[in-house]
Amino acid sequence: MVTIDLSQVSVREGNEQIRAAGAEGHDIEVLNPDARHHIGVGLIHPVTVTVRGSAGYFLGGLSDKANFRVERNVGWGLGDNMYNGSVVVGGNAGAIAGVAIRGAEIVVKGNIGSRAGQVMKKGTLLCAGNANFMAGYMMYGGRIIILGDSGERLGEDMSGGEIFLGGPLNSLGSDATLTDTEQAEIDDIRAFLDRYEIPFKGSFQKVVNAGKKLRYGTSETPVRSIPFFTFSGQSDYWNQKVQEDVYIKSQIGRYRVRGYGGARAVPHLSDLAFRKDVTAAAIGDDPVADVEMKTLIGGINGAKPLTLSMPVMIAPMSYGALSRSAKQAIAIASGMAGIAENTGEGGMSDAQRDAAKQLIFQMLGGRLGWNIHDMNRADGLEIYISQGAKPGFGGQLMAKKVTKELAEIRGIPAGIDLRSPSRHPDILGADDLVIKIEELREATGYRLPVSVKLGAGRIRDDIKIAVKDGFDFVELDGMQGSTGAGGAEVMEYVGIPTLSAICEAERALASIGRRQDIEIVLMGGIRDGVDAVKGLCLGADAIALGTSAIIAGGCIACMQCHVGQCVTGIATQDPEHEKRYKAKVEAQHIYTFLESVRWQIAAITKALGHTSAKQLSRDDLVALTPEAAEITGLPYEPDRRNVELFQAAG
Amino acid sequence: MCGIAGILFKHMDIDRDTGKALIDMLDGCQHRGPDSTGFALYGDDHPGQIKMRFYVGTGNEAGDAIGRLREVFAEQGAELVEDSQIGSAYRAVVKFSGDLQKFSYAVEHAAKVMSIGESLEIVKDIGTAHDVDDGYDIHHFRGTHGLGHVRLATESDVKPEAGHPFWATGFSDVAIVHNGQITNYWKMRRRLERRGFEFVTDNDSELIAVYLADKMSQGVPLKEALRTSIDDMDGTFSFLVSTKDEIGYAKDHLAAKPMIMFENDDLIAIASEEVSLNRLFPGKALDTREPPPGSYNTWSRST
Repeated sequence: MVTIDLSQVSVREGNEQIRAAGAEGHDIEVLNPDARHHIGVGLIHPVTVTVRGSAGYFLGGLSDKANFRVERNVGWGLGDNMYNGSVVVGGNAGAIAGVAIRGAEIVVKGNIGSRAGQVMKKGTLLCAGNANFMAGYMMYGGRIIILGDSGERLGEDMSGGEIFLGGPLNSLGSDATLTDTEQAEIDDIRAFLDRYEIPFKGSFQKVVNAGKKLRYGTSETPVRSIPFFTFSGQSDYWNQKVQEDVYIKSQIGRYRVRGYGGARAVPHLSDLAFRKDVTAAAIGDDPVADVEMKTLIGGINGAKPLTLSMPVMIAPMSYGALSRSAKQAIAIASGMAGIAENTGEGGMSDAQRDAAKQLIFQMLGGRLGWNIHDMNRADGLEIYISQGAKPGFGGQLMAKKVTKELAEIRGIPAGIDLRSPSRHPDILGADDLVIKIEELREATGYRLPVSVKLGAGRIRDDIKIAVKDGFDFVELDGMQGSTGAGGAEVMEYVGIPTLSAICEAERALASIGRRQDIEIVLMGGIRDGVDAVKGLCLGADAIALGTSAIIAGGCIACMQCHVGQCVTGIATQDPEHEKRYKAKVEAQHIYTFLESVRWQIAAITKALGHTSAKQLSRDDLVALTPEAAEITGLPYEPDRRNVELFQAAG
Repeated sequence: MCGIAGILFKHMDIDRDTGKALIDMLDGCQHRGPDSTGFALYGDDHPGQIKMRFYVGTGNEAGDAIGRLREVFAEQGAELVEDSQIGSAYRAVVKFSGDLQKFSYAVEHAAKVMSIGESLEIVKDIGTAHDVDDGYDIHHFRGTHGLGHVRLATESDVKPEAGHPFWATGFSDVAIVHNGQITNYWKMRRRLERRGFEFVTDNDSELIAVYLADKMSQGVPLKEALRTSIDDMDGTFSFLVSTKDEIGYAKDHLAAKPMIMFENDDLIAIASEEVSLNRLFPGKALDTREPPPGSYNTWSRST
């Protein structure tokens, strides 16, 4: 038995000692916990931690196999994301007890706060006292047992799992329904209660998902698709895109869901030009050799930074939206090019981990595929708040793509139209976010950079929160970014342009004098090295490529990513379709494309008179349109649109 | 975005370590808001006298503001008993028996009012609880009850006057600390403005304070005002309110903002996180309660 006194050591030191003791197989006793947060997070050994008093937020969070015993109360997020293992709490638990658990047994002898078991996947959460508002909110699986009062809206928007209620039912949540219990289930509950020595002889009611909201009532009519390149044509009015939109709505009677991004013309990087005539500059035979491009991202607060051979990353895209093979190809290419890949939502595969030399692991509100073991083998952790194509919305994965295998990885029922939660269970404000970031850092020993993915909305406010909350870098995503599935109107009208996003972010950080305290990776419709350089000139520390990498790897931009029958094998989970995708061949194509980006960045940087990509600045740019000038504050020089005139003058 | 704390010693003894207790509680949840910290403190009172606290800045700016304030005191028939300048604040005790609401609107044009009351004094500035204590000597403050707040500025600037607690502009001794966001802010504010109330900030917490104080001035008990506030305010909120003799809380129906409380014969303490409550009782496991969604309550000092 190892004893740790938290009145003598910090939680950070305490957790290091707990993990070290756990690795050696020793049980641990924690004295003077005094409701401190993050006790025991990241523990992955089958030992018992006894907390002599009350614990704060995320007791036992992000752990596996360990057992926790708490004498009195715990705060929010008890047993967050626990795989196997158990927790017994002698007193009460705060909100979201058992959030996102994937197998753990969690027993609270007193009452539990609101939204208990939110997005849980597997395991048992038992409350011997009363539950509170929306227990079982958005749960995907597992079992909640409540012996006292149900609280309001029990089982709100649950999509799987079961809730057994021994006390009075206050009210049922949306899409939850009562059903009959089976004797075997009740016997199993009795055995569970006996195991944890909880006397209860009453009967149980059972609440499950009613299944009314899990699927769109009418599927979209298959149409002969118009490629994105036609779809985003010049006319904003009765073009083919509008016609197609109207036609589909006439069949399904609701908004349409499609892949790719907004097709509306909004100011973009192409509305900027370089101040110097880069075509006329002498760049020599090998600009790549002449220009310093190595970029470190994520190290400003002491974590081990990502080391990029050029200021470029792969944008987050999920295994789920994309096939395993497509993700593998991107991972291989990222490794070959010496840049970082990102898992997106939905978990990490071995193939991806092995192929990518540097991999950022992304955490979303549904905690789909999120777990301590993959965190430990990641090179960076990322909290997704939103994405540029659909800020404020969670991911959407249509039933066709939610295969058995994919459902298993994510811990959700197969075959549902998965609409991932748009918000995190434990991040309801900047104050909660601080505690969440610290949980991730505590669980991984402060080794990894922690970034935030922000879809551009209220960037002026959001970026200030990002820096104040201590993120190492932000992945800033404008509305020109794509998605595997999103509401068409959302993609066209909700986000703000990439150009606005970076300029607002720079201004907001300058206004509080904190620009040096966070790094910015800009993404959202960055197509090539030319766009990349413009993004860097506007202030980004690096840029990320998503759609262009996919296209380089064979995407035909048919916008049917959401359907799940991608003919190229990229955006599908159907083995028959995926078979067509040759990961190794496409990896080479993606890599070759990335090398073209490298050359362009180097050539333009050199042509602009610099020796390092870090020297790029706003002084290298002008605006070609009044709108772009207004957004960026760059000098408006429309004459640059006319290259002949420019050359004649220059 | 923030952390809140409140404490009330139940008995009439005014000589309690209120300042130190609040510093400890706020230090416990400083991670929730590193930008600024504030205290609403209730000390002794003298009949006929009111205590006023203003933000005046420093240097010439402060001198000018204090000059303007002294003129307004004279114009309004307030007799200055004592005054002092502490940090960027100016504290004045005056004898005044007229219409406090009019008086407070008048002084607001001379300098930013932080609080007015017979026993209330609000102290807030940028920095942590210990920073503010260093500047304003909070830990020596003896009193009966108080509120505290740590702030992470999201939408508005990091300025002392934008921090919490908020005084219910125009109403003696009413203060509030709030964690959350009132989404029908402008609708509610316009409703109160039509009835002649003035707002000195665009902060939704000031709105809650004025809303409650207005109800109380019409004879509605604080507890009843808290009950109606839960239905009248839209958004996510957990807030604490204090008057000369009472402390109360309200929590919205969605329970999105944390709150936890501990009560014994001697005191009631409420905070965003149990870690703050535990600071008052190191090494002890407390029998705490989390108020349910849509709930409210008040406690008052007893004899």
